[in-house]
Amino acid sequence: MNGGMNTFHPAVPFFFYAGGAVLIMVARHPVFLATILLVLIGHSLVMDRGRTLRRWWGAIVLMSGFFLVITPLVNRLGTHILFYFNGRPVLEEAVYQGVMTALSLAALLVLFLNYNQVITAEKFLFLFGKLPQWALVATLAVRFVPELQRRLGDIQTVQRARGLSVTAGPLQARLKNGLALVQMLLTLSLEEALQTADSMKARGYGTGKRSQYNPYRFRPADRLALLFLAAVFGLALFGWRLGDLVLTLRPVLEPVFLHGREWFYLFVVGVYFGFPLFIEGREAWRWRSWK
Amino acid sequence: MALLEVKDLWFTYPEEKRPALADVSFAVDAGEFVALCGPSGSGKSTLLRLLKPEISPYGRRSGAIFYDGSPLADIPPARCARDIGFVFQDPDNQIAMDRVLGELVFGLENLGMDTGMMRRRVAEIVHFFGLEPLLDRKTHELSGGQKQMVNLAAVLMMEPRILLLDEPTAQLDPVSAKDFFNMLRRMNEELGITVLIAEHRLEDVWPLADRVIMLEDGRLRHVGKPREVIGKLFAEGDVSFIDYLPRASVLYRQFTVEAERERIPITVKEAKRWLAGLTVVEKAEGRSIKDPCVNECPDSENAASAGRFKAEARRRREAPVLEARAVRFHYRKNDPPVLNHLSLKIDVGERLAIVGGNGTGKSTLIKTLAGLLTPQSGTIWFKGKKIKSEPPEAIGYLPQNPKLFFMEETVEDAYRHALERGGTSPALLEDYLNFFEIGHLTARHPYDLSDGELQKVVLVCLLLERPDVLLIDEPTKGLDPAVKKRFGKLLKTLNQEEGLTVVFVTHDIEFAAQVATRCAMMFRGEITAEGDPHAFFTGNAFYTTAVGRITRGAGVPEVLTPEEAKKRWLVAKDGS
Repeated sequence: MNGGMNTFHPAVPFFFYAGGAVLIMVARHPVFLATILLVLIGHSLVMDRGRTLRRWWGAIVLMSGFFLVITPLVNRLGTHILFYFNGRPVLEEAVYQGVMTALSLAALLVLFLNYNQVITAEKFLFLFGKLPQWALVATLAVRFVPELQRRLGDIQTVQRARGLSVTAGPLQARLKNGLALVQMLLTLSLEEALQTADSMKARGYGTGKRSQYNPYRFRPADRLALLFLAAVFGLALFGWRLGDLVLTLRPVLEPVFLHGREWFYLFVVGVYFGFPLFIEGREAWRWRSWK
Repeated sequence: MALLEVKDLWFTYPEEKRPALADVSFAVDAGEFVALCGPSGSGKSTLLRLLKPEISPYGRRSGAIFYDGSPLADIPPARCARDIGFVFQDPDNQIAMDRVLGELVFGLENLGMDTGMMRRRVAEIVHFFGLEPLLDRKTHELSGGQKQMVNLAAVLMMEPRILLLDEPTAQLDPVSAKDFFNMLRRMNEELGITVLIAEHRLEDVWPLADRVIMLEDGRLRHVGKPREVIGKLFAEGDVSFIDYLPRASVLYRQFTVEAERERIPITVKEAKRWLAGLTVVEKAEGRSIKDPCVNECPDSENAASAGRFKAEARRRREAPVLEARAVRFHYRKNDPPVLNHLSLKIDVGERLAIVGGNGTGKSTLIKTLAGLLTPQSGTIWFKGKKIKSEPPEAIGYLPQNPKLFFMEETVEDAYRHALERGGTSPALLEDYLNFFEIGHLTARHPYDLSDGELQKVVLVCLLLERPDVLLIDEPTKGLDPAVKKRFGKLLKTLNQEEGLTVVFVTHDIEFAAQVATRCAMMFRGEITAEGDPHAFFTGNAFYTTAVGRITRGAGVPEVLTPEEAKKRWLVAKDGS
């Protein structure tokens, strides 16, 4: 995928998502969390027109819904009784608690889905595979998986023609065939891995110290973006220390509606999470005005 | 001074008595393009690997190899890796990384080059190869031809001075192979890289070669310029190498008593020029062009013949043994269909060749016919019955990679499984082993056999189950020309004497033209054309044999093989 956050050096989106996860976990306020969730969903929709969300929304709603319902039923810390359910009191504080848990869970999940779209396995390896051997081993393993899948598929097809099936027949025969299949897969893979080893040796693997190709450049724009994100993140954390990102439940329940300085910090958090959307928007706008 | 020099090289593998290489001496000059020819097992791979110290086989050796004036063993490893490039046969297994870009820089990383330099090399080589569109792709998603091109580029990134290639196009279809050779030619001509290549695609490699080295049983038989070697072979009347020569030269040989070395044609172009100076008429013998040979073309009974008319009549009487009706198949829901409303009838006792480019769905078709893949719509009928979930036992399927066939530790165990399943007597096994000449292999592990031997073993296993129909996926992959010819004859014998119906998909047009009784062409998941091989291939301009291309539009009776030309042509030398 190109465009948006992918135009940056991987360090920028990684910082963004790590910082984003921290902010979601420290923010305990329904309005803040709802804003964050909406902005994240917005970014996800912009990135792939909702393809990822459509696949995952069931799981997200189920998990969030579970906490939304279960927290008010089991949490009994608070003073504002809303009503009685089955003879137990349902408290206003607990309802807020449930809403916040559900929202922060949903926000974390959407954040992680977005992260997965932007930070691919290679980018992660690039960032953390500073030890070249580790990066190499990881890449070789990554390459090995589709190869194994392909071989297993091929073996199964051919063996089915010989009447050795793992999907039909008595269980014992299926087990025996399955074991033979795996053994064959390993033999074949080792056999073919020998050829890979030859090809690696032929290209000088093991002759000396390896270097690592760096496909990403750290440009001035990356520095700027990183500084900006760090500043906004710092400001938001400061707001958290001041208690503005948190809805006080005890000893006294704070009103849910924002007041005073909290509006400012909502803006700050909005700017932080809206950063990818801003980048995408700027790109779209540039295209429009370019013509 | 020679860039590479081999002096009195002997090599014997451990626990072998016969040397794999015996008394081999030759030299390769900088910038030369040298082709290494010879049957499988003649020592081509061994020789190439001995020239690349990192992957040299273990064994007893004597003699010396010099690279750039100093003994090869004294060259520092990093220089060796850089200067001597090696491309292997299998496109998949020599790729180490999962992205094309990563694969390209792999060698440079090993040498410890910095990113700036690598970037420059990548830019240059990617441009030279036209690989831009592939750069961010995953390597396992590429086609065989693309993979092999990436492998070549990955080696070229290191700026080698000499390139060793071990049958690099054996697994590719003809079009991808042509692309690969074009790239090799450019590298040789434009960059001056020395090339030493072992190859069975003679039509492609002979015209490129400055020199040809012919190996047999580990010994150098002939070394020289292509025309010299061919001339010498012709003069000596040596027919053992006839399968290893370009068809153009073989055709020339059949109509020339005294071969003039300078005039021996190697390419289609040269052969056409030679033909233009001849007057060729159809051999009369009371037959018209349309019905040229009744009984005297046992090797290419593809022309209209009495036998075919009989077959035609029988075809009308009998129902097809295997039939696909409007079959549609895709591997994934949103992928375009690989087979698209495909219908095909296979008659009892025919030899059907299905040809077509890569990715046209040939392998998928043959798996579907075998009942191994269930189509999303449409049906497969075997002997008047619909194939449901289980593949019928009376259909034998020979996969593209014969290694996949063996779950057993030894060849003998594989035979035993086949005997049990087919309920056949061991006496039959004896017969087949004698017929295929593979009795000595029973105790071996399947992976220790050569490609040709493996294929025969699988074929025996299939035959023991007494199939009515044999489906073969790419029967000629990795076989040398002589083995290929013998395999074709075997298939014909089985077909004629045991009444086995044979269906195979192949890239190999020469093979299809020689073996099939009917040809079908696949394109975009459909059968777009079919007919008897002679009419089919003489009607094609590109998808035909080398001799077919030579004779097409040359004002001579169109033929497909040198043998057929010999039977049908009457040549009168034209003075001009």
